[in-house]
Amino acid sequence: MPASVSLQGYLVLAAVLFAVGLFGVVTRRNTIGILLGIELMLNAVNINLVAFARFNGDAVGMVFTVFTISITVAEVALGLALVILIFRVRRTAIADHLDLLRG
Amino acid sequence: MTDPGPLVTLALLLPAATFLLLAIAYPLRRAGRAAGIVSVAGAAVALAAALRAWQLQSAEGFTRIAIEWIPQESGPLATVGVLADADSTLMLVLVALVSFLVQLYSLGYLDTEAPASLGRYYVYQSLFAFSMMGLVLAPGFVQLFICWELVGLCSYLLIGYWYERPAAARAAVKAFWITKAGDVGLLVGIVLLWFRAGTFDFLQLYDLARGGQIPLAGLGLVTFCIYLGAMGKSAQFPLHVWLPDAMEGPTPVSALIHAATMVTAGVYLLKRTNWLFALTPDVLVLVGWIGAFTALFAAVLACVQSDIKRVLAYSTVSQLGYMMAAMGAGFAAAGFLHLLTHGIFKALLFLGAGAVIHAVGSNDIYRMGGLRRHMPQTTVVFLVGTLSLAGIPLFGGFFSKEEILGAVWSGGLAVPFWMLVTAAFLTAFYMFRVVFIAFFGAPAAPAPLAHGGHGGPDVHGGGHLHEAPAVMTGPLWLLAALSVGIGVYFTVHHGEPEFIAPGWLTPLAVAVAVAGIALAWLTYSRRVISADLLATIFAPLRRAALAGFWLDDLFEGVYRLALLGLARLVGWVDRYLVDGVVNVCSAWTLAWGDRLRRMQTGLAQDYVYGLAVGLLLLLIWVQWPR
Amino acid sequence: MSLETIAFGGLAVVLVASALAVVLTKNLFHSVLWLALTLTGTAGIFLTLDAEFLAAVQLLLYAGGVVTIVVFAIVVTERLVGDRITQTSRQIFSGLIIAGAVLVGLLTFILRAPLSRPRPPLGGDLTRAIGDAVLTRFVLSFELLGLFFFAALLGALYFARPDD
Repeated sequence: MPASVSLQGYLVLAAVLFAVGLFGVVTRRNTIGILLGIELMLNAVNINLVAFARFNGDAVGMVFTVFTISITVAEVALGLALVILIFRVRRTAIADHLDLLRG
Repeated sequence: MTDPGPLVTLALLLPAATFLLLAIAYPLRRAGRAAGIVSVAGAAVALAAALRAWQLQSAEGFTRIAIEWIPQESGPLATVGVLADADSTLMLVLVALVSFLVQLYSLGYLDTEAPASLGRYYVYQSLFAFSMMGLVLAPGFVQLFICWELVGLCSYLLIGYWYERPAAARAAVKAFWITKAGDVGLLVGIVLLWFRAGTFDFLQLYDLARGGQIPLAGLGLVTFCIYLGAMGKSAQFPLHVWLPDAMEGPTPVSALIHAATMVTAGVYLLKRTNWLFALTPDVLVLVGWIGAFTALFAAVLACVQSDIKRVLAYSTVSQLGYMMAAMGAGFAAAGFLHLLTHGIFKALLFLGAGAVIHAVGSNDIYRMGGLRRHMPQTTVVFLVGTLSLAGIPLFGGFFSKEEILGAVWSGGLAVPFWMLVTAAFLTAFYMFRVVFIAFFGAPAAPAPLAHGGHGGPDVHGGGHLHEAPAVMTGPLWLLAALSVGIGVYFTVHHGEPEFIAPGWLTPLAVAVAVAGIALAWLTYSRRVISADLLATIFAPLRRAALAGFWLDDLFEGVYRLALLGLARLVGWVDRYLVDGVVNVCSAWTLAWGDRLRRMQTGLAQDYVYGLAVGLLLLLIWVQWPR
Repeated sequence: MSLETIAFGGLAVVLVASALAVVLTKNLFHSVLWLALTLTGTAGIFLTLDAEFLAAVQLLLYAGGVVTIVVFAIVVTERLVGDRITQTSRQIFSGLIIAGAVLVGLLTFILRAPLSRPRPPLGGDLTRAIGDAVLTRFVLSFELLGLFFFAALLGALYFARPDD
């Protein structure tokens, strides 16, 4: 093991987390489960950003991360509000049933 | 005036003037008889001018008045005007004379027509006179062709004069179509000639031809194409089928157009361009053969007709064949002479037939009989015309027919010669058949008029047999006198023959004609030979002749096959290929749209799949150049 | 073997395990709890990267806020639907394929890139640097962020209003 973890290590971790999140988005039936998968993916992105910021010696990456975290939080909130609305109207939690936009 | 040029121009422009006057001033046209009188007056003055011009015209010289029509750097492309020489002034006299007489005669013949309709008739007559004179006097191929087409148009208009009758309308269209087929050939020939010689003008072409400057290679095709035009207009086999049907028009029209003038345009064309055809003797031989065959063929067909006008129509076809045979033998002057004499006596025969039809109310010779008692003048003039046609000495047709036979024999066309001799025999036979049945013999029982007054084509008030009015008999006597006069003149003054005819030719010609008359007399007058027996002996031939040797059916079949087939093919291509391409495009678009639609499942997760795939592709693309 | 490396390894294991648990657990509520653990693990990663401020933000907003919101949402929807929400997964095989492919693609990309360089030494306080940057270079974005939150708030209020 090297003396300290290289940038690639962090990037690999982030990639794994991203893949897991993607898997979750694609396979979960419940809408909220999909949102959780999205959370994971965004998390992975944040790790990426911070790692690059640290290894370039520049704080800009971290500022960017602040922004992404904030926006992600807002998005989750609104997403959940939408989910609740859908549940009110359609009385279903299963994402497979929400295919009104079917072509 | 000593110069024929202005006179000829005057003769040409007078019918044009009457045409324009009658066409534009329709109160005058609707007045009927007034329009007729104007037209006749114009025709009379034109005749006078033509006669004077002919008198002044010397045998060798020519006068040319031409206006440049389509200019070009190296000389004008097309000129219009008049070219007056011995041939054209003589032909002009024939046209002017017959035109005048026919227009005069029509005043009596069409006296029961509505005035507006009569005015229309004289408009067409004036236009025709102008067109025919323009054709005769043309200085070059351009004016010739234009007038050629105009003459065809007038023929259509005049055949279909009684356009409410479907048979007349069909006959007019048929005439137009068949002659148009020939006209295409003429146009092609003219253009090909222009490509070789560079000019349309007759005088320039004559010089080029004499100087041997027209390339001979492929010239046969050119002359053959020009001959095609003559074939259509002059009703040579197989383009003769329109002429019998053209009898649906009024009889004066038949006399003018389909006896003396328009149908002779083809013969006149060959005479005019004789120096060109002389360069292609093979085509001339073909012309001769077709002419002789047409003569015999039409004579056979004439023997079985019961309609007097159709007999005369087939007779015209036969005589045109004679003229063409002489042209083909290389002696154009003989053919041209026959053109002139035939014009006189055929017009006479048609006008006489018209007088008979006018009185009897039917064209059928079996409805006539013993007419000589009621219509003595008509009988006499008709007999004069028949004797001329049969080729009896002292009458008009004798010398010219003998000239043609001599020309064909001297030209070395042996089989055509014997065809023409046979045709001469048949000519005498069928003409006298008509004479004996219609003018002699017992009167036919008056036939019940089937359609309450309109018993046949040119019919009105028939049933009371009377002699024709003076306005009709006048032209008849004039033509008869001319016919006899020409016959006597040529019997007395034999011209310089261009060839040496064998000594036995004249006796043969006379004997053949007399034999034909004798057979007709024995069969139809004395009834020694039974007509029915003759019919039975020649039954298959007779049946074929009655069906016109099925040529009409052949043409119709070809039309259906070729034109309609082509139309169907084009239609199929349009529906299945052209529209098909469009339809296939639309069908494919719809099908693929339908298939692609299934991509939109409406489920968000499926779209995430799409995103992931896109991301993958992006990664691959970025990493591709390793 | 430095402390840093061990810490990173351990956190990495925890992160991946809990992430897998998030996506594989049948019970949705358990899923949320595993997510909380994942987010906390991420905060730990931030710490190893000397980003203390961000670790704090992560814990506050993510592990605190987001998880709370999700839990509330689950409770509300459970109440609405009326029965325990079970999770079953669909099309696991194709999901594995696609996720695996993406992973492979990313990994090949990362591992080929010439990135190995040592960590540069830390120059000054990162938190201070973030604060400076936010309020000077990125102040406009920061203000717009406030506006964005306001809009999101209004949207959420509108969505969540009761049916009248």
